[in-house]
Amino acid sequence: MKKTGLTFAAFALLFGGIASSSFAERAETVSASAPPPVYIETPSLAKAVEKGELPPVAQRLPENPRVLDPTKYGGTLGRHGGRMRWLMGKQKDLRMLVYYSYARLVGYNEKYGLKADILEKFTVEDGRIFTFTLRKGHKWSDGHPFTTEDFRYWWEDVANDKRVGRGMPAKMLVNGKPPTVEFIDEVTVRFTWEDANPEFLPSLAATRPLVIFMPAHFMKQFHPRYADKAELEKRVKAVKLRNAKRLHMRMARSARPENPERPMLDPWIQTTKPPSTLFTFRRNPFYHRVDPAGRQLPYVDEVRIAMGSTSLIPAKVGAGDSDLQARYLRFDDYTFLKAAEKRGTIKVKLWDKSRGAHMAIVPNLNAKDPVWRKLNRDKRFRQALSLAINRREINQAIFYGLAKESADTILPGSPLYRKDYAKAFARFDLDRANELLDAVGLGERDGDGIRLLPDGRRAEIILTSAGESSEQADVLSLIRDTWRKAGIALYTRSSQRELFRKRIYSGETIMSVWEGLDNAMASAATSPTELAPTKQSQLHWPQWGLYYETSGEQGAAPDLPEGRKLIAALERWQAAASPDARKAAWHAMLKIHAQNVFTIGIVNATKQPVAMSPKLRNVPDHGVYAYEPGGFFGIYHPDLFWLEGADKKSSVTSDRATNGEPSILTKATGN
Amino acid sequence: MLIYILRRALLMIPTLAIISVLVFTIIELPPGDYFESYVAELEAAGEKVDKSQIEFLKQEYGFDRHPVERYFYWVGGLLQGDLGYSFAYELPVNKIIGDRLFFTILISFLTIIVTWMIAFPIGIYSAMHQYSWSDYGLTFVGLLGIATPNFLLALVMMYLANVWFGTSIGGLMAQEYVNQPWSWGKFVSILEHIWIPVIVIGTAGTAGMIRTLRANLLDELQKQYYRTARAKGLSRTKAVTKYPLRMALNFFVADIGGILPQIVSGAEIVAIVLSLETTGPLLISALQSQDMYLAGSFLMFLALLTVIGVLISDILLAVLDPRIRLAGGRTK
Repeated sequence: MKKTGLTFAAFALLFGGIASSSFAERAETVSASAPPPVYIETPSLAKAVEKGELPPVAQRLPENPRVLDPTKYGGTLGRHGGRMRWLMGKQKDLRMLVYYSYARLVGYNEKYGLKADILEKFTVEDGRIFTFTLRKGHKWSDGHPFTTEDFRYWWEDVANDKRVGRGMPAKMLVNGKPPTVEFIDEVTVRFTWEDANPEFLPSLAATRPLVIFMPAHFMKQFHPRYADKAELEKRVKAVKLRNAKRLHMRMARSARPENPERPMLDPWIQTTKPPSTLFTFRRNPFYHRVDPAGRQLPYVDEVRIAMGSTSLIPAKVGAGDSDLQARYLRFDDYTFLKAAEKRGTIKVKLWDKSRGAHMAIVPNLNAKDPVWRKLNRDKRFRQALSLAINRREINQAIFYGLAKESADTILPGSPLYRKDYAKAFARFDLDRANELLDAVGLGERDGDGIRLLPDGRRAEIILTSAGESSEQADVLSLIRDTWRKAGIALYTRSSQRELFRKRIYSGETIMSVWEGLDNAMASAATSPTELAPTKQSQLHWPQWGLYYETSGEQGAAPDLPEGRKLIAALERWQAAASPDARKAAWHAMLKIHAQNVFTIGIVNATKQPVAMSPKLRNVPDHGVYAYEPGGFFGIYHPDLFWLEGADKKSSVTSDRATNGEPSILTKATGN
Repeated sequence: MLIYILRRALLMIPTLAIISVLVFTIIELPPGDYFESYVAELEAAGEKVDKSQIEFLKQEYGFDRHPVERYFYWVGGLLQGDLGYSFAYELPVNKIIGDRLFFTILISFLTIIVTWMIAFPIGIYSAMHQYSWSDYGLTFVGLLGIATPNFLLALVMMYLANVWFGTSIGGLMAQEYVNQPWSWGKFVSILEHIWIPVIVIGTAGTAGMIRTLRANLLDELQKQYYRTARAKGLSRTKAVTKYPLRMALNFFVADIGGILPQIVSGAEIVAIVLSLETTGPLLISALQSQDMYLAGSFLMFLALLTVIGVLISDILLAVLDPRIRLAGGRTK
């Protein structure tokens, strides 16, 4: 298993470079491989088929299902059956099922290229005409056909009907203009914009995807156009909602699968009515993927999500209460989990995290204090602070040397990675740091060796943290020592998250500690909005971000040339017609970031422990644990994961059997 | 007596009104609202949210309106028995609380009974054998119970239960019984799990109660009527149970006002540590995420129970102890 996993990782690395170009600009057709000749009935559904409650597997699958071959990813062909248990914190976490399932119209493959998934194929012309072909015979989880009617319903009755919709999603507009949509036949739909829309496919492939279709046959009963008025009113009253609009929105929601009645396309379907602390998801008998042997996916019959205190999750995982878990496990749980692995209750793997920096120091360019604002805006000051950090020492002392010392930038697995981005001002060079600090007007020092600001105050930086991680405090105490040698005093103040943000937004906070880029595994096809001042939640320039977010109504326009350059590059990317132009725009932005050190990254490529049942197969040994792209596990196809020996038990049996075994803790004390 | 009860009941109205203003204000006090903490939470997990989507939600839930307006909206709902709407669960509040209420009451009830069963005999015993070795020993154990943090005890017991009995960690029953109809297996599974929270929550209370009972009883044992009873030849046990113990019981009755809300809220911290499906963790997480109608309505519910509990204990005290006068200082 280890070997196969390694090959898989090497595979991903090797082909990572090709990923960006596989995104289609020229008219491109992506079609699936031939379906297997014979389908094997799922044992747990055989009874229902026999009784005639369900059609046999060949009729449940689309004519041309998506064939996923686990052996291509270094896995093995699986068997049906069993139950996968996950642990989550709150009911809100049910959205993880949709993330992990990762059934999208188009989705990223493990090389970060886009591939048709629910769609049979898609073609793109000029980057503005998108033609989607559905799989003929594809059905919703209730057996109703999934056709272009579902797209029409969304387009005409939701997006263009203020009575139920929220209006046209911003992502459907290019330069403020919506597309024209044609429903050519039952399986073909075409979206045409006047200008190129490079964000369309990536937003369909997003972990939280842009929704452009809905189960029309189900939703119509909540739509004023189709439903009986009195009936609808009664329904609204029954669930204590304000109006029919809310009811429609709630019933339509697919991001958080709470409603057992709503038909879905995911591999596992919700069966528990909330509120509850235990949610059971059963296999979707109409799921559109198969393996080459003819087994309809998913392999695992049932997913069980148990809600509980998140602080107990590592302990429960150690006791073998979860069959696949990464959420709520932190790197410092690793040693504990490893000890449990020795006893054989779980298997633990380390995956890479996809953040540009595990921890970054963020100077606030919109700080209120004029003296500090001027310093923060001076790139030499930021460079000096970055040079005065001994990243090696931090990596060794706190991350067991397992992290990568780097600036806040793209990770090596991404096709956009360049060594000089990662190395920019990331070495430890106190002499150069002191030189730079002298040059920015901090030449004077007081008796303690602390530099003096131009107005005579001591150069004391109060670094605010959200106060959630003891790790941050440890790292900062190491930084304090080396900054002191550069004549900068560092004090930390922990806060509470909402307050933390508020104070940064308002400019009261001079500098904060947070994380780096969200998606550091980006390819040229991914939107680089994160690199430009586009959001208030970007803690280094909240006011500029707010300005962009509100189209200039609030906030402040970027008044540094670099900020404007980043926006210009983002616009170049959005208008780009070729992959090369997109790549150029990305690199222009990455270069500006590398030179300007807007955020001071400490280390990245930190590890995420992934714990799983020793019986669970096909989980890669190495992977990237990222929200975007790929929905954490989603990109590695959890529907291909299977439980060894599960087919020998009678489908889903009670887990009393496992409870009856001597617990791991007994074994531990027995030693 | 009737007039007294009526007056007290009328007094509850302004009391509850003031409490509702306080609750609402305190929940409103921290910066931000539910949607902001929701966004912050998502972003901390690396996820992204559309700002326009959040604005939309805020409008839908009336967050763009003035707090005073929202307060009256909320109170108006409360008066009609509508506890409001939880943002986090996207469900009416009654539905969420109702589900958990049963187990909360069960645990609290068992806890109180266990506490009394342990505390009574020990308290009486140590008062009657003041400064003996057994008194010191029991007091020591009791103080240990107070001094040990509940959550630590919970963790240790959970660990030991897993080691010795193979009980699954956390929760009130084995996973397979959740959402299942009642059965013998489910009942046994609950019994397997429930003793841990009962003991953990009970220990602190037990120790406190032992000390109070002991002190109260010691006071009474000094008094003349006890000596007279003894001098008349009553046996020690009979004399104690017949007179001083009854006097010392007043505080139990006075305690009912506190017990009633406690039964419903459960011990929050312990419940979180043990991952129990009670109302405590619900309240805490609602407060953390500023899910204001859930938190507010729940707190109001507790306040109502407290007020009613205090009334009940006052009435009981008056009935049990003729020395207590209802009219307070006004009779003179």
